[in-house]
Amino acid sequence: MSPDLQRLPGNPNPLRWLMPVVWLVLLGVAVKAMPLATPALEWLSPDTDGVVYERTAFTTLLWRHALTVGVAAVLTVIVGITAGVAVTRPRGRDFLPLVGQCASLGQTFPPVAVLALAVPVLGFGTLPIVCALVLYGLLPIVRNTLAGLQNVDDTLIATARGMGMTGRQRLYRVELPLAAPVILAGVRTSITVNIATAALGATVGASNLGEPIIAGIVNGNTAYVVQGAVIIALLALSVDSLLDVWQRQLTQSRERH
Amino acid sequence: MALMDALPLQSARWRPWQPNPVLLCLAVAMLATLAGLDVVSVAPNRIAAPTGYSLWGATGIPGAALALLLLGAMTGLAAYPGRYRYPALLTVSGLLLALIPFAMMLAAFRLIEPGVAQARLGIGPALWVLLFMLMLCLVELRLRMQLARGWLLLMLLPIVGVWWLCAAFWLDRLALVQEFQARHDAFYRALVEHLALVGIAVTLSTVLGVAIAMLIRRFAAGRTTAFAILNFFQTIPSLALFGLLLAPLAWLSARFDALAAIGVQGIGWTPALIALVAYSLLPMVRNTHVALEAVSPAALDAARGMGMRPAQRFLLVRLPLALPILLEGLRITTVQAIGLTAVAALIGAGGLGTLIFQGLGQSAMSMVLLGALPIIVMAFVADTALGTLAARLRHGDSTRQGDRA
Repeated sequence: MSPDLQRLPGNPNPLRWLMPVVWLVLLGVAVKAMPLATPALEWLSPDTDGVVYERTAFTTLLWRHALTVGVAAVLTVIVGITAGVAVTRPRGRDFLPLVGQCASLGQTFPPVAVLALAVPVLGFGTLPIVCALVLYGLLPIVRNTLAGLQNVDDTLIATARGMGMTGRQRLYRVELPLAAPVILAGVRTSITVNIATAALGATVGASNLGEPIIAGIVNGNTAYVVQGAVIIALLALSVDSLLDVWQRQLTQSRERH
Repeated sequence: MALMDALPLQSARWRPWQPNPVLLCLAVAMLATLAGLDVVSVAPNRIAAPTGYSLWGATGIPGAALALLLLGAMTGLAAYPGRYRYPALLTVSGLLLALIPFAMMLAAFRLIEPGVAQARLGIGPALWVLLFMLMLCLVELRLRMQLARGWLLLMLLPIVGVWWLCAAFWLDRLALVQEFQARHDAFYRALVEHLALVGIAVTLSTVLGVAIAMLIRRFAAGRTTAFAILNFFQTIPSLALFGLLLAPLAWLSARFDALAAIGVQGIGWTPALIALVAYSLLPMVRNTHVALEAVSPAALDAARGMGMRPAQRFLLVRLPLALPILLEGLRITTVQAIGLTAVAALIGAGGLGTLIFQGLGQSAMSMVLLGALPIIVMAFVADTALGTLAARLRHGDSTRQGDRA
């Protein structure tokens, strides 16, 4: 069978899980077996004693990092998609320009500044970074939800209305399924960017994968910085490739119907 | 913002004869905020825990009555259609913004006894929310009245002037103002460092970005590799990119005296600048590439037909037509660099981030504000200015094409 045939709708590429598995395995190796890399890390920062970050286990840091980004992602997805759907309904259409502008404004606010402003209200720790991530991640989701819903063919909606579907049925059975790949692309951008941005939380006392990076900068230990950076990059690549597989499946199933 | 401008906004038309639910919601929300949250707080010294005061407690009858009157007027104007209500709403919003410092002066006069030298007035959550919602009102009004973004900025200038006057002469009890007076040298130095870092980084990445984009056009084979490398930089967290450069640069400057002589160090502006440029290159190259590719072949054919040489075609046709999208890249890069430079303070590069991180370390929140507020204002102004410029250029193009047709 030629490779082109395998990618036809109905014949999903059997190798589509390859990249996520590769990245996840690498992530697991990096988290569990960092001491194996000691020689390389010693070459990176020869003057320091401990080259592997040991104050907190990488598994714990990874879990906290994922939890922070996950909570922020759930909030962003709920708020972003609800807002995007609400302002495209006839009743909420008045709010469309304002919501669009707000989402853009969120991205103009630098995350560090948002963090700094959130600390007096929320205290030190994980809450300020969740707040900053929600604000920063909203734009791609709102933008793509609006674009996805507005790109749905008007004749399809008219047909659905002609079939006697109510507004709610049209939304759940026609508009959202058709817009899903575009919305998911927005969610993917938002989460991937936020995995890297969450490291900033370590500057206000959140314990996540940014912690080794800050410790490395403060102590002049490049090995710590590399460990934090590598695990964050692997986490971002794993999540990105997983969402990529999901996005392809959505697009393919849409083509099949 | 440019993307939102491109979306079809049918509801943004001038409709003075219909109630405006957006402003109605905002006005009611502002009333609720003032009723429920603290407007100001008073702390006995710089780092002591402050006590909050509501609008009623802080300004008494005159302040509360005035706020109620103005917000009531806003609610009424939003609910009942009329010919001149949008200009009236704009005036009311502007008045509310301009009155905020006077309310703070009144609060300082009533709450702080003249003898207590250390006491300071903090801005409460209600005022922040109010400021944010008033900004939303202005955005909504701008969209309804179809004003250009520059007009809104012009309108804000006198209000900012009033704030500045109040802060400079009468608001010396405000924690932010006291913090500024205590360290205005450090503040100006940080501001200049910040602007210099952003300016140099954006200039460098613009020059490099345009150069790389042109090279990619010439050597198409390298395109995938180039974008892969630039994408790779974006996966490294900004925080780590600054940290990763510390050791290699320290090593380089220790080995080569020439580098050390021009100030290359492991910490300081060198790693900051390299990281900023590395981060800025992707949006710059991508937008330049897209911009140059998007120029219509017909226009280039016409230029060739007129006998233009390749250099002329590039400078007189391709570049001017590509300019709006190119400026969009510049806008993204600049806003991003303004925020990232704050992080650069962690590796000793200076800038406004210094104030933020020092303030966080001392739990002196007014110092954090002194660093964070200018960053937000700078990002906002850069976004607005470059966005307006790009929109103006694009608009100019379309009218010219329209004229020809």
